[in-house]
Amino acid sequence: MLEIKNLSFRYASRSPLVLDGVDLTLKDGEIGILLGKNGSGKTTLFKTILGIRKPDGGSIRFDGEDLLKMSRRERARRIAYVPQSIHFGALSVFDTVLMGRVSYFGYKAGREDEAAVEAILRDMRLEELAARNVEELSGGERQKIAIARALAQEPRLLVFDEPTGNLDIANEQLILSEARRVAAEKGIGILTSLHDLNQALDLGGRFFFMKEGKIRFAGGPEIVNESVIREIYDAEVRVLDIEGKKIVINRNGGQKT
Amino acid sequence: MDRGRKGYDTIMNMQSELVKNRRKNAAALVLLSAAVIVLAFVCLFVGSSHMTVAECFAALAKQGSAAQVRIIWNIRIPRVLAAIIAGAGLSVAGLIMQTDLNNPMASPSTLGVSNAAVFGANLSIIAFAGGFLDTGNHLSSYTVGANPYATSLMAFLFSTLSILLILGLCRLRAFQPGVVVLAGIAIGSVWTAATTILQFYATDVGLSAAVIWTFGDLGRATYRTDLIMAAAVAVGLVFFSLMSWRFNALLSGDAAAKSMGVAVDRLRFLSMLLASVITAVCVSFLGIIGFVGIICPHVTKKLLGQDHRVSIPASALSGSILLLLADTLSRSIGNGSALPVGAITSLLGAPFFLAIIFGRKGEHD
Repeated sequence: MLEIKNLSFRYASRSPLVLDGVDLTLKDGEIGILLGKNGSGKTTLFKTILGIRKPDGGSIRFDGEDLLKMSRRERARRIAYVPQSIHFGALSVFDTVLMGRVSYFGYKAGREDEAAVEAILRDMRLEELAARNVEELSGGERQKIAIARALAQEPRLLVFDEPTGNLDIANEQLILSEARRVAAEKGIGILTSLHDLNQALDLGGRFFFMKEGKIRFAGGPEIVNESVIREIYDAEVRVLDIEGKKIVINRNGGQKT
Repeated sequence: MDRGRKGYDTIMNMQSELVKNRRKNAAALVLLSAAVIVLAFVCLFVGSSHMTVAECFAALAKQGSAAQVRIIWNIRIPRVLAAIIAGAGLSVAGLIMQTDLNNPMASPSTLGVSNAAVFGANLSIIAFAGGFLDTGNHLSSYTVGANPYATSLMAFLFSTLSILLILGLCRLRAFQPGVVVLAGIAIGSVWTAATTILQFYATDVGLSAAVIWTFGDLGRATYRTDLIMAAAVAVGLVFFSLMSWRFNALLSGDAAAKSMGVAVDRLRFLSMLLASVITAVCVSFLGIIGFVGIICPHVTKKLLGQDHRVSIPASALSGSILLLLADTLSRSIGNGSALPVGAITSLLGAPFFLAIIFGRKGEHD
């Protein structure tokens, strides 16, 4: 579905490359997790995929089509984004989710757009919040509304930027299970960045370890090991195998988060 | 079965809540429209000639003394229309600027429009004595002028220059809201400085004529100026209303709006251009009328939320209301001569505005 080749990007003509020959592929319904230190290029990679930044070189293809030549509206019907910091403006939950369909209806939402939003809210059990002011909701609820709005775009790929950054553990689990459900039930590809290695292992999928604008390691959970983490994060950890599940902890005993 | 029933109930519940919300918004718009109509009549009946309500109605039906018919049709109606049109235009222009720049302090004049208009008008009045070619310095030139539109035209030309200068500069780099605001402040201060220098060389008469121009006066309106303002405001209202959903998306930030398919830079450029042109037209004909574009959009957003499908018409109507109220008041307490309407809008609007911001729980609680 998504095929990125040799992608490069820099913010100004003489500044260093923020993306340096990135290759990445993702299939339908697959979960891709981007890992790496702050400033390793994860968010910039997202921005080029979303068309917010124009890359300096390389190609991004989506189902064989050149994503960089697509109009903004065409792109919005294929790829949706759940940003890291979520603010919406004082709108009702229903209207906030309906906004996600603007690339379909353009000027005025039709009955079919409203029906699509109703179905999504019902599916995500958010119908009781429909008339509430979205700004008055909790962080976790707002994150769910952001996902609902992204789903209203009927995308094939959902991009999450640090979805669990500001959430408590219950909401963290909720959002990750929502991501898993969307991938499994609807066959929507997920591309997400995460800081917490254990969360990433819990979510599962393909791992892309980034450092200095390059993808250094890519593969399934089996590639997560002590030497990879040392190389990417310059951190000493232990990777334990407990009942077939990998857990990353600090060398000195505490859990690595 | 039970779960299905419960699901059905919640959906019906959701729809009835949403319908209730929409009805509330529609009711608010109807109420505001009614207030505009009522106030327009009140405004029509108040004036220095102390006509009774019955006389006003008679004059409105063109039955009454010739003087009364003239007062109503040639003086008061153009003035009331100017209040409705300019109030709506300035208020909506303010709302759009605030959304575009993601800045609650943004106003219709953020691009230096008012400062540039003042400079243009001052240049016309002080250097050309109200007409382009008349360089004489006698009082009659200031009141009549060689061309009644010369001062307005100069004001408009310089406001347009200011708009194009700032938008052009910002186009060179990415359209970042912060940059636009700072560029507006910088260019605005250049116009103010130029005005000060110009006023330094002015004669007493020229200076007072120039200062009086800036006061803001709906009495300058004629049917022709109303028509020109109405055209600009109508084009703006139609365009802004069509873009309501895109403005709503912009409230979520640039990245989110772009990812939903909104051409953010183009939207921002076009809507700021239109909002500024509306402001330039109103200010050029009527002088400076401050704060309508800040107070009205904020009050509407606080009371009715930020959905632009509602806040655009509601801001327009509340702008008309404030200007009608201010104009009526300025003529009733002015003892024969109307007080500057721009000062009254602030005196009237500011306490209400403060009550709204301090009286309700904000998002920062």
